[in-house]
Amino acid sequence: MKHYLFLHAQSALLALKRTARAPIASLLNLAMLSLALSLPVALYLVVQGVQQWSGKIDVTPELTVFMEMASEPADIAAVASSLKQHPRVGQSTFVDKQQALAELEARSGVTGMAEGLDGNPLPDAFVVKPATLDAAELDRLQKEIAGLPMVAEVQFDAAWAQKLAGLISLGGQLTLLLGSAFALALVLVTHNTIRMQILARRDEIEISKLIGATDNFIRRPFLYHALWQGVLAALAAWGLSSWLIAAANPVLADFARLYNEQLALRGLTAGELAALTGLSALLAVSGARLATDHHLRQVRAH
Amino acid sequence: MTPMIKFDQVSKRYPGGFDALKNLSFQIDAGEMVFLAGHSGAGKSTLLKLVAGIDRATSGNVLVNGQNLSRLRASQLPYVRQHIGIVFQDHKILYDRSVFDNVVLPLDIIGFDRRDAARRVRAALDKVGLAGREKSMPVGLSGGEQQRLCIARAVVHRPAILLADEPSANLDRAYALDIMELFKSFHQVGVTVLISAHDETLMEDYGRRIIRLREGQFA
Repeated sequence: MKHYLFLHAQSALLALKRTARAPIASLLNLAMLSLALSLPVALYLVVQGVQQWSGKIDVTPELTVFMEMASEPADIAAVASSLKQHPRVGQSTFVDKQQALAELEARSGVTGMAEGLDGNPLPDAFVVKPATLDAAELDRLQKEIAGLPMVAEVQFDAAWAQKLAGLISLGGQLTLLLGSAFALALVLVTHNTIRMQILARRDEIEISKLIGATDNFIRRPFLYHALWQGVLAALAAWGLSSWLIAAANPVLADFARLYNEQLALRGLTAGELAALTGLSALLAVSGARLATDHHLRQVRAH
Repeated sequence: MTPMIKFDQVSKRYPGGFDALKNLSFQIDAGEMVFLAGHSGAGKSTLLKLVAGIDRATSGNVLVNGQNLSRLRASQLPYVRQHIGIVFQDHKILYDRSVFDNVVLPLDIIGFDRRDAARRVRAALDKVGLAGREKSMPVGLSGGEQQRLCIARAVVHRPAILLADEPSANLDRAYALDIMELFKSFHQVGVTVLISAHDETLMEDYGRRIIRLREGQFA
Protein backbone atom coordinates (compact mmCIF):
# COMPACT_ATOMS: atom_id res chain seq x y z
CA MET A 1 0.00 0.00 0.00
CA LYS A 2 2.82 2.35 0.94
CA HIS A 3 4.60 1.38 -2.22
CA TYR A 4 1.44 2.02 -4.22
CA LEU A 5 1.02 5.47 -2.70
CA PHE A 6 4.67 6.20 -3.35
CA LEU A 7 4.28 5.35 -7.04
CA HIS A 8 1.28 7.68 -7.25
CA ALA A 9 3.05 10.52 -5.48
CA GLN A 10 5.99 10.04 -7.79
CA SER A 11 3.79 10.20 -10.90
CA ALA A 12 1.90 13.22 -9.62
CA LEU A 13 5.16 15.04 -8.96
CA LEU A 14 6.62 14.03 -12.30
CA ALA A 15 3.53 15.30 -14.09
CA LEU A 16 3.74 18.61 -12.25
CA LYS A 17 7.42 18.92 -13.15
CA ARG A 18 6.65 18.27 -16.80
CA THR A 19 3.98 20.97 -16.69
CA ALA A 20 6.47 23.40 -15.19
CA ARG A 21 9.17 22.41 -17.69
CA ALA A 22 7.07 23.58 -20.64
CA PRO A 23 5.55 26.74 -19.14
CA ILE A 24 4.43 28.40 -22.38
CA ALA A 25 2.69 25.33 -23.76
CA SER A 26 1.15 24.58 -20.38
CA LEU A 27 -0.06 28.14 -19.93
CA LEU A 28 -1.58 28.29 -23.42
CA ASN A 29 -3.36 25.05 -22.80
CA LEU A 30 -4.54 26.21 -19.42
CA ALA A 31 -5.77 29.52 -20.84
CA MET A 32 -7.77 27.69 -23.50
CA LEU A 33 -9.33 25.30 -21.00
CA SER A 34 -10.10 27.92 -18.39
CA LEU A 35 -11.68 30.27 -20.95
CA ALA A 36 -13.81 27.42 -22.20
CA LEU A 37 -14.87 26.62 -18.66
CA SER A 38 -15.46 30.21 -17.52
CA LEU A 39 -18.07 30.85 -20.22
CA PRO A 40 -20.69 28.40 -18.94
CA VAL A 41 -19.71 29.28 -15.37
CA ALA A 42 -20.35 32.98 -15.99
CA LEU A 43 -23.66 32.24 -17.69
CA TYR A 44 -24.62 29.99 -14.80
CA LEU A 45 -23.86 32.77 -12.33
CA VAL A 46 -25.88 35.31 -14.31
CA VAL A 47 -28.87 32.96 -14.42
CA GLN A 48 -28.47 32.26 -10.71
CA GLY A 49 -28.31 35.99 -9.92
CA VAL A 50 -31.37 36.88 -11.94
CA GLN A 51 -33.26 33.91 -10.57
CA GLN A 52 -32.43 34.89 -7.02
CA TRP A 53 -33.59 38.44 -7.65
CA SER A 54 -36.78 37.37 -9.37
CA GLY A 55 -37.45 34.92 -6.54
CA LYS A 56 -38.07 37.90 -4.30
CA ILE A 57 -40.87 39.05 -6.56
CA ASP A 58 -44.29 37.45 -6.46
CA VAL A 59 -44.60 35.79 -9.82
CA THR A 60 -48.14 34.51 -9.37
CA PRO A 61 -49.97 36.40 -12.06
CA GLU A 62 -52.65 38.86 -11.10
CA LEU A 63 -55.25 40.51 -13.22
CA THR A 64 -56.40 43.99 -12.33
CA VAL A 65 -59.88 44.71 -13.62
CA PHE A 66 -60.63 48.44 -13.87
CA MET A 67 -64.23 49.48 -14.04
CA GLU A 68 -65.55 52.39 -16.08
CA MET A 69 -65.61 55.62 -14.06
CA ALA A 70 -69.35 55.79 -14.63
CA SER A 71 -70.10 52.30 -13.34
CA GLU A 72 -72.90 51.97 -10.82
CA PRO A 73 -72.93 49.69 -7.74
CA ALA A 74 -75.29 47.39 -9.69
CA ASP A 75 -72.70 47.02 -12.47
CA ILE A 76 -70.02 46.28 -9.91
CA ALA A 77 -72.20 43.65 -8.25
CA ALA A 78 -72.86 42.04 -11.64
CA VAL A 79 -69.15 41.87 -12.44
CA ALA A 80 -68.37 40.59 -8.94
CA SER A 81 -70.85 37.74 -9.31
CA SER A 82 -69.57 36.89 -12.81
CA LEU A 83 -66.03 36.71 -11.45
CA LYS A 84 -67.13 34.57 -8.53
CA GLN A 85 -68.79 32.09 -10.85
CA HIS A 86 -65.99 31.99 -13.40
CA PRO A 87 -64.23 28.61 -13.30
CA ARG A 88 -60.81 30.06 -14.06
CA VAL A 89 -60.94 32.68 -11.34
CA GLY A 90 -59.40 31.56 -8.08
CA GLN A 91 -60.05 34.57 -5.97
CA SER A 92 -61.25 38.08 -6.63
CA THR A 93 -61.04 41.08 -4.35
CA PHE A 94 -62.92 44.29 -4.86
CA VAL A 95 -60.92 47.50 -4.35
CA ASP A 96 -63.22 50.53 -4.36
CA LYS A 97 -61.96 53.93 -5.46
CA GLN A 98 -61.77 55.37 -1.91
CA GLN A 99 -59.77 52.43 -0.72
CA ALA A 100 -57.46 52.68 -3.72
CA LEU A 101 -56.90 56.37 -3.07
CA ALA A 102 -56.17 55.73 0.60
CA GLU A 103 -53.65 53.11 -0.36
CA LEU A 104 -52.01 55.39 -2.87
CA GLU A 105 -51.80 58.18 -0.27
CA ALA A 106 -50.34 55.80 2.27
CA ARG A 107 -47.79 54.51 -0.19
CA SER A 108 -46.67 57.90 -1.52
CA GLY A 109 -46.88 59.69 1.84
CA VAL A 110 -48.93 62.49 0.32
CA THR A 111 -52.26 63.22 1.99
CA GLY A 112 -55.18 65.14 0.64
CA MET A 113 -54.54 64.14 -2.95
CA ALA A 114 -58.19 64.22 -3.88
CA GLU A 115 -58.54 67.79 -2.65
CA GLY A 116 -55.82 68.95 -5.01
CA LEU A 117 -57.38 67.10 -7.83
CA ASP A 118 -60.82 67.33 -9.24
CA GLY A 119 -62.31 64.52 -7.17
CA ASN A 120 -60.99 60.95 -6.96
CA PRO A 121 -59.40 60.05 -10.32
CA LEU A 122 -59.15 56.38 -9.52
CA PRO A 123 -61.67 53.86 -10.76
CA ASP A 124 -63.15 50.96 -8.85
CA ALA A 125 -61.24 47.78 -9.47
CA PHE A 126 -61.05 44.08 -8.86
CA VAL A 127 -57.84 42.18 -8.20
CA VAL A 128 -58.24 38.72 -9.66
CA LYS A 129 -56.01 35.78 -8.87
CA PRO A 130 -56.54 33.24 -11.59
CA ALA A 131 -56.89 29.54 -10.86
CA THR A 132 -54.55 28.69 -13.71
CA LEU A 133 -50.95 29.53 -14.64
CA ASP A 134 -51.19 28.44 -18.25
CA ALA A 135 -50.37 31.35 -20.53
CA ALA A 136 -53.05 30.59 -23.13
CA GLU A 137 -55.74 30.15 -20.47
CA LEU A 138 -54.71 33.39 -18.82
CA ASP A 139 -54.93 35.13 -22.14
CA ARG A 140 -58.45 33.83 -22.68
CA LEU A 141 -59.47 34.78 -19.14
CA GLN A 142 -58.20 38.30 -19.70
CA LYS A 143 -60.26 38.62 -22.86
CA GLU A 144 -63.37 37.18 -21.25
CA ILE A 145 -63.22 39.54 -18.29
CA ALA A 146 -62.56 42.47 -20.59
CA GLY A 147 -65.80 41.55 -22.39
CA LEU A 148 -67.95 41.96 -19.25
CA PRO A 149 -70.21 45.05 -19.18
CA MET A 150 -68.76 48.27 -17.75
CA VAL A 151 -65.24 46.83 -17.53
CA ALA A 152 -62.83 49.46 -18.84
CA GLU A 153 -59.58 47.56 -18.92
CA VAL A 154 -57.95 44.37 -17.70
CA GLN A 155 -54.27 44.58 -16.88
CA PHE A 156 -52.17 41.50 -16.65
CA ASP A 157 -49.70 42.39 -13.90
CA ALA A 158 -47.44 39.42 -13.96
CA ALA A 159 -47.04 39.00 -17.69
CA TRP A 160 -43.49 40.32 -17.53
CA ALA A 161 -42.71 38.08 -14.57
CA GLN A 162 -43.86 35.12 -16.60
CA LYS A 163 -41.70 36.19 -19.48
CA LEU A 164 -38.79 36.59 -17.10
CA ALA A 165 -39.34 33.12 -15.68
CA GLY A 166 -39.34 31.79 -19.23
CA LEU A 167 -36.15 33.66 -19.96
CA ILE A 168 -34.50 32.30 -16.83
CA SER A 169 -35.44 28.77 -17.71
CA LEU A 170 -34.10 29.37 -21.22
CA GLY A 171 -30.89 30.70 -19.67
CA GLY A 172 -30.66 27.63 -17.48
CA GLN A 173 -31.08 25.34 -20.45
CA LEU A 174 -28.55 27.34 -22.42
CA THR A 175 -26.09 26.99 -19.55
CA LEU A 176 -26.61 23.26 -19.52
CA LEU A 177 -26.16 23.05 -23.28
CA LEU A 178 -23.10 25.29 -23.30
CA GLY A 179 -21.72 23.45 -20.30
CA SER A 180 -22.11 20.10 -22.04
CA ALA A 181 -20.48 21.42 -25.20
CA PHE A 182 -17.52 22.78 -23.26
CA ALA A 183 -17.29 19.63 -21.16
CA LEU A 184 -16.94 17.69 -24.38
CA ALA A 185 -14.35 20.22 -25.56
CA LEU A 186 -12.43 19.69 -22.33
CA VAL A 187 -12.33 15.95 -22.91
CA LEU A 188 -11.20 16.43 -26.51
CA VAL A 189 -8.57 19.03 -25.66
CA THR A 190 -6.99 16.86 -22.95
CA HIS A 191 -7.24 13.85 -25.23
CA ASN A 192 -5.28 15.75 -27.83
CA THR A 193 -2.74 17.15 -25.35
CA ILE A 194 -2.03 13.71 -23.95
CA ARG A 195 -1.88 12.20 -27.42
CA MET A 196 0.79 14.73 -28.38
CA GLN A 197 2.69 13.97 -25.19
CA ILE A 198 2.59 10.26 -25.85
CA LEU A 199 3.90 10.78 -29.37
CA ALA A 200 6.65 13.03 -28.02
CA ARG A 201 7.59 10.41 -25.44
CA ARG A 202 7.45 7.39 -27.69
CA ASP A 203 11.07 6.40 -27.00
CA GLU A 204 10.68 6.75 -23.28
CA ILE A 205 7.51 4.66 -23.30
CA GLU A 206 9.08 1.98 -25.46
CA ILE A 207 12.21 1.75 -23.30
CA SER A 208 10.20 1.78 -20.09
CA LYS A 209 8.10 -1.10 -21.40
CA LEU A 210 11.25 -3.00 -22.36
CA ILE A 211 12.71 -2.76 -18.88
CA GLY A 212 9.62 -3.85 -17.05
CA ALA A 213 7.24 -0.91 -16.75
CA THR A 214 3.60 -1.94 -16.39
CA ASP A 215 0.92 -0.16 -18.40
CA ASN A 216 -0.24 1.53 -15.22
CA PHE A 217 3.23 2.87 -14.55
CA ILE A 218 3.38 4.37 -18.03
CA ARG A 219 -0.17 5.67 -17.94
CA ARG A 220 -0.03 7.24 -14.50
CA PRO A 221 2.03 10.39 -15.22
CA PHE A 222 -0.19 11.20 -18.19
CA LEU A 223 -3.34 10.81 -16.12
CA TYR A 224 -1.88 12.99 -13.40
CA HIS A 225 -0.88 15.56 -15.96
CA ALA A 226 -4.50 15.68 -17.09
CA LEU A 227 -5.68 15.82 -13.49
CA TRP A 228 -3.51 18.86 -12.76
CA GLN A 229 -4.66 20.46 -15.95
CA GLY A 230 -8.31 19.91 -15.05
CA VAL A 231 -7.89 21.23 -11.51
CA LEU A 232 -5.86 24.27 -12.57
CA ALA A 233 -8.29 25.05 -15.40
CA ALA A 234 -11.22 24.95 -12.95
CA LEU A 235 -9.40 27.26 -10.53
CA ALA A 236 -8.45 29.63 -13.34
CA ALA A 237 -12.05 29.61 -14.60
CA TRP A 238 -13.17 30.44 -11.08
CA GLY A 239 -10.75 33.37 -10.97
CA LEU A 240 -11.88 34.55 -14.38
CA SER A 241 -15.59 34.36 -13.57
CA SER A 242 -15.03 36.11 -10.24
CA TRP A 243 -13.24 38.91 -12.04
CA LEU A 244 -16.03 39.11 -14.63
CA ILE A 245 -18.63 39.39 -11.90
CA ALA A 246 -16.64 41.95 -9.96
CA ALA A 247 -16.44 44.00 -13.16
CA ALA A 248 -20.11 43.55 -14.05
CA ASN A 249 -21.66 44.14 -10.64
CA PRO A 250 -21.23 47.96 -10.39
CA VAL A 251 -22.70 48.40 -13.87
CA LEU A 252 -25.54 46.06 -13.03
CA ALA A 253 -26.21 47.85 -9.74
CA ASP A 254 -26.38 51.23 -11.50
CA PHE A 255 -28.81 49.84 -14.01
CA ALA A 256 -30.96 48.18 -11.35
CA ARG A 257 -31.06 51.37 -9.30
CA LEU A 258 -32.93 53.05 -12.15
CA TYR A 259 -35.77 50.63 -11.43
CA ASN A 260 -35.40 50.88 -7.69
CA GLU A 261 -34.16 47.32 -7.60
CA GLN A 262 -31.08 45.68 -6.21
CA LEU A 263 -29.40 43.20 -8.46
CA ALA A 264 -25.99 41.72 -7.70
CA LEU A 265 -24.38 38.58 -9.05
CA ARG A 266 -22.60 36.34 -6.60
CA GLY A 267 -19.47 34.32 -7.20
CA LEU A 268 -19.23 30.55 -6.99
CA THR A 269 -19.86 29.08 -3.56
CA ALA A 270 -17.32 26.73 -2.04
CA GLY A 271 -19.55 23.79 -2.90
CA GLU A 272 -19.97 24.91 -6.49
CA LEU A 273 -16.24 25.48 -6.85
CA ALA A 274 -15.55 22.00 -5.49
CA ALA A 275 -18.09 20.53 -7.92
CA LEU A 276 -16.60 22.47 -10.84
CA THR A 277 -13.08 21.38 -9.92
CA GLY A 278 -14.12 17.78 -9.47
CA LEU A 279 -16.02 17.70 -12.73
CA SER A 280 -13.24 19.38 -14.65
CA ALA A 281 -10.65 16.96 -13.22
CA LEU A 282 -12.87 13.99 -13.98
CA LEU A 283 -13.41 15.10 -17.58
CA ALA A 284 -9.73 15.80 -18.13
CA VAL A 285 -8.72 12.42 -16.73
CA SER A 286 -11.33 10.67 -18.91
CA GLY A 287 -9.91 12.40 -21.97
CA ALA A 288 -6.39 11.35 -20.98
CA ARG A 289 -7.51 7.82 -20.27
CA LEU A 290 -9.04 7.55 -23.74
CA ALA A 291 -5.83 8.85 -25.27
CA THR A 292 -3.55 6.52 -23.29
CA ASP A 293 -5.73 3.47 -23.92
CA HIS A 294 -5.67 4.16 -27.61
CA HIS A 295 -2.10 5.28 -28.15
CA LEU A 296 -0.11 3.28 -25.61
CA ARG A 297 -1.27 0.15 -27.34
CA GLN A 298 0.33 1.44 -30.52
CA VAL A 299 3.75 1.82 -28.91
CA ARG A 300 5.10 -1.71 -29.20
CA ALA A 301 8.20 -2.72 -27.34
CA HIS A 302 10.74 -4.54 -29.48
CA MET B 1 21.58 -26.87 -9.97
CA THR B 2 18.14 -25.40 -10.54
CA PRO B 3 17.51 -24.08 -14.01
CA MET B 4 17.18 -20.31 -14.22
CA ILE B 5 16.23 -20.39 -17.89
CA LYS B 6 14.68 -23.42 -19.53
CA PHE B 7 13.48 -23.79 -23.13
CA ASP B 8 11.27 -26.77 -23.80
CA GLN B 9 10.67 -27.42 -27.53
CA VAL B 10 10.39 -23.73 -28.24
CA SER B 11 9.57 -22.43 -31.70
CA LYS B 12 9.06 -18.87 -32.81
CA ARG B 13 7.46 -18.01 -36.10
CA TYR B 14 7.12 -14.35 -37.01
CA PRO B 15 4.14 -13.07 -38.96
CA GLY B 16 4.85 -13.75 -42.60
CA GLY B 17 6.01 -17.28 -41.89
CA PHE B 18 9.66 -16.72 -40.97
CA ASP B 19 10.81 -19.35 -38.46
CA ALA B 20 13.29 -17.61 -36.16
CA LEU B 21 13.62 -20.53 -33.72
CA LYS B 22 12.86 -24.17 -34.46
CA ASN B 23 12.04 -26.57 -31.64
CA LEU B 24 14.80 -25.51 -29.25
CA SER B 25 15.33 -27.20 -25.88
CA PHE B 26 18.08 -26.27 -23.44
CA GLN B 27 18.56 -24.99 -19.94
CA ILE B 28 20.82 -22.52 -18.19
CA ASP B 29 21.46 -22.99 -14.49
CA ALA B 30 21.23 -20.25 -11.91
CA GLY B 31 24.53 -18.38 -11.71
CA GLU B 32 25.80 -19.77 -15.01
CA MET B 33 27.48 -17.60 -17.65
CA VAL B 34 26.63 -18.70 -21.17
CA PHE B 35 27.50 -17.32 -24.59
CA LEU B 36 25.13 -17.36 -27.51
CA ALA B 37 26.89 -17.54 -30.86
CA GLY B 38 25.77 -17.41 -34.46
CA HIS B 39 25.60 -15.16 -37.48
CA SER B 40 23.09 -12.39 -37.61
CA GLY B 41 19.68 -13.85 -38.38
CA ALA B 42 20.53 -17.11 -36.61
CA GLY B 43 17.94 -16.38 -33.90
CA LYS B 44 20.11 -14.97 -31.10
CA SER B 45 18.09 -11.82 -30.58
CA THR B 46 14.83 -13.72 -30.80
CA LEU B 47 16.01 -16.14 -28.12
CA LEU B 48 16.92 -13.26 -25.81
CA LYS B 49 13.54 -11.57 -26.44
CA LEU B 50 11.74 -14.78 -25.49
CA VAL B 51 13.70 -14.96 -22.23
CA ALA B 52 12.78 -11.35 -21.44
CA GLY B 53 9.14 -11.88 -22.36
CA ILE B 54 9.38 -9.17 -25.01
CA ASP B 55 8.24 -11.70 -27.59
CA ARG B 56 6.26 -14.85 -26.92
CA ALA B 57 6.98 -18.33 -28.21
CA THR B 58 4.71 -19.66 -30.95
CA SER B 59 4.90 -23.12 -29.37
CA GLY B 60 6.72 -24.77 -26.50
CA ASN B 61 7.41 -23.51 -22.99
CA VAL B 62 9.84 -20.83 -21.86
CA LEU B 63 10.56 -21.06 -18.15
CA VAL B 64 12.36 -18.18 -16.46
CA ASN B 65 13.10 -18.23 -12.76
CA GLY B 66 10.46 -20.92 -12.27
CA GLN B 67 7.73 -19.10 -14.18
CA ASN B 68 6.30 -20.38 -17.41
CA LEU B 69 6.20 -17.27 -19.60
CA SER B 70 4.08 -19.03 -22.20
CA ARG B 71 1.29 -19.32 -19.65
CA LEU B 72 1.57 -15.85 -18.13
CA ARG B 73 -0.90 -13.17 -19.04
CA ALA B 74 0.56 -10.22 -20.98
CA SER B 75 -0.11 -7.96 -18.01
CA GLN B 76 2.16 -10.13 -15.85
CA LEU B 77 5.17 -10.01 -18.19
CA PRO B 78 6.45 -6.61 -16.95
CA TYR B 79 6.99 -8.11 -13.50
CA VAL B 80 9.15 -10.86 -15.01
CA ARG B 81 11.19 -8.21 -16.80
CA GLN B 82 11.75 -6.35 -13.54
CA HIS B 83 14.01 -9.24 -12.46
CA ILE B 84 16.00 -9.20 -15.67
CA GLY B 85 18.65 -6.76 -16.81
CA ILE B 86 18.95 -6.25 -20.55
CA VAL B 87 21.81 -4.68 -22.49
CA PHE B 88 20.26 -3.82 -25.83
CA GLN B 89 22.11 -4.04 -29.09
CA ASP B 90 20.99 -0.52 -30.00
CA HIS B 91 21.48 0.68 -26.39
CA LYS B 92 17.96 2.18 -26.09
CA ILE B 93 19.25 5.21 -24.25
CA LEU B 94 17.07 8.27 -23.64
CA TYR B 95 19.13 11.07 -25.16
CA ASP B 96 17.09 13.86 -23.62
CA ARG B 97 17.83 12.66 -20.10
CA SER B 98 21.00 12.76 -18.05
CA VAL B 99 23.10 9.69 -17.36
CA PHE B 100 21.63 9.55 -13.86
CA ASP B 101 18.04 9.73 -15.10
CA ASN B 102 18.71 6.96 -17.62
CA VAL B 103 20.16 4.63 -15.03
CA VAL B 104 17.54 5.35 -12.37
CA LEU B 105 14.66 4.36 -14.69
CA PRO B 106 14.48 0.66 -13.65
CA LEU B 107 14.45 1.71 -9.99
CA ASP B 108 11.65 4.20 -10.66
CA ILE B 109 9.67 1.44 -12.28
CA ILE B 110 10.05 -0.80 -9.25
CA GLY B 111 9.19 2.18 -7.06
CA PHE B 112 12.48 2.50 -5.24
CA ASP B 113 12.93 5.13 -2.56
CA ARG B 114 14.67 8.09 -4.18
CA ARG B 115 17.59 8.32 -1.76
CA ASP B 116 18.38 4.61 -1.91
CA ALA B 117 17.96 4.83 -5.67
CA ALA B 118 20.56 7.61 -5.94
CA ARG B 119 23.02 5.49 -3.99
CA ARG B 120 22.37 2.48 -6.20
CA VAL B 121 22.76 4.54 -9.37
CA ARG B 122 26.12 5.92 -8.22
CA ALA B 123 27.27 2.42 -7.29
CA ALA B 124 26.27 1.06 -10.70
CA LEU B 125 27.98 3.94 -12.53
CA ASP B 126 31.06 3.42 -10.42
CA LYS B 127 31.03 -0.27 -11.30
CA VAL B 128 30.99 0.37 -15.07
CA GLY B 129 33.59 3.13 -14.85
CA LEU B 130 31.30 6.13 -15.29
CA ALA B 131 31.68 7.49 -11.77
CA GLY B 132 31.15 11.23 -11.65
CA ARG B 133 29.42 11.33 -15.04
CA GLU B 134 25.88 11.15 -13.69
CA LYS B 135 25.02 14.72 -14.72
CA SER B 136 26.37 14.31 -18.27
CA MET B 137 24.04 13.94 -21.20
CA PRO B 138 24.37 10.69 -23.17
CA VAL B 139 25.32 12.50 -26.41
CA GLY B 140 28.50 13.62 -24.69
CA LEU B 141 29.54 10.01 -24.13
CA SER B 142 31.63 7.93 -26.52
CA GLY B 143 30.22 4.75 -28.04
CA GLY B 144 31.94 2.62 -25.43
CA GLU B 145 30.72 4.84 -22.62
CA GLN B 146 27.17 4.63 -23.92
CA GLN B 147 27.53 0.87 -23.84
CA ARG B 148 28.62 1.10 -20.21
CA LEU B 149 25.70 3.37 -19.42
CA CYS B 150 23.41 0.72 -20.85
CA ILE B 151 25.10 -1.92 -18.68
CA ALA B 152 24.75 0.25 -15.57
CA ARG B 153 21.02 0.57 -16.27
CA ALA B 154 20.76 -3.19 -16.76
CA VAL B 155 22.31 -4.03 -13.38
CA VAL B 156 21.18 -1.13 -11.17
CA HIS B 157 18.16 -3.05 -9.85
CA ARG B 158 20.34 -6.14 -9.18
CA PRO B 159 18.56 -8.55 -11.48
CA ALA B 160 18.86 -12.31 -11.20
CA ILE B 161 19.43 -12.57 -14.95
CA LEU B 162 21.54 -10.37 -17.19
CA LEU B 163 20.96 -10.54 -20.94
CA ALA B 164 23.29 -8.82 -23.39
CA ASP B 165 22.59 -8.65 -27.11
CA GLU B 166 25.85 -8.23 -29.05
CA PRO B 167 27.46 -6.01 -26.42
CA SER B 168 30.86 -6.15 -28.11
CA ALA B 169 29.64 -5.21 -31.59
CA ASN B 170 31.22 -2.01 -32.91
CA LEU B 171 33.83 -1.98 -30.15
CA ASP B 172 37.53 -2.56 -30.65
CA ARG B 173 38.96 -5.71 -29.13
CA ALA B 174 40.49 -4.11 -26.04
CA TYR B 175 37.25 -2.35 -25.22
CA ALA B 176 35.25 -5.47 -25.92
CA LEU B 177 37.43 -7.43 -23.49
CA ASP B 178 36.82 -4.78 -20.82
CA ILE B 179 33.08 -5.20 -21.30
CA MET B 180 33.38 -8.99 -21.10
CA GLU B 181 35.33 -8.67 -17.84
CA LEU B 182 32.53 -6.55 -16.53
CA PHE B 183 29.96 -9.25 -17.33
CA LYS B 184 32.23 -11.82 -15.72
CA SER B 185 32.27 -9.79 -12.52
CA PHE B 186 28.46 -9.85 -12.40
CA HIS B 187 28.54 -13.58 -12.99
CA GLN B 188 30.96 -13.93 -10.08
CA VAL B 189 28.43 -12.38 -7.68
CA GLY B 190 25.81 -14.93 -8.71
CA VAL B 191 23.99 -13.33 -11.62
CA THR B 192 22.95 -15.64 -14.45
CA VAL B 193 24.51 -14.11 -17.55
CA LEU B 194 23.57 -14.76 -21.18
CA ILE B 195 25.59 -12.91 -23.81
CA SER B 196 25.12 -13.08 -27.56
CA ALA B 197 27.87 -12.29 -30.04
CA HIS B 198 28.80 -13.18 -33.57
CA ASP B 199 32.55 -13.00 -32.82
CA GLU B 200 33.38 -16.38 -31.28
CA THR B 201 37.09 -15.69 -30.71
CA LEU B 202 36.14 -13.43 -27.83
CA MET B 203 34.10 -16.16 -26.15
CA GLU B 204 36.57 -18.93 -26.50
CA ASP B 205 39.03 -17.13 -24.21
CA TYR B 206 36.57 -17.50 -21.36
CA GLY B 207 36.04 -21.24 -21.50
CA ARG B 208 32.31 -20.94 -20.85
CA ARG B 209 29.49 -22.88 -22.40
CA ILE B 210 28.62 -21.64 -25.87
CA ILE B 211 25.21 -22.19 -27.42
CA ARG B 212 25.69 -22.03 -31.19
CA LEU B 213 22.69 -21.20 -33.36
CA ARG B 214 22.23 -21.48 -37.09
CA GLU B 215 18.90 -20.72 -38.75
CA GLY B 216 17.04 -21.12 -35.49
CA GLN B 217 18.54 -24.47 -34.54
CA PHE B 218 21.58 -25.66 -32.65
CA ALA B 219 24.57 -25.56 -34.95
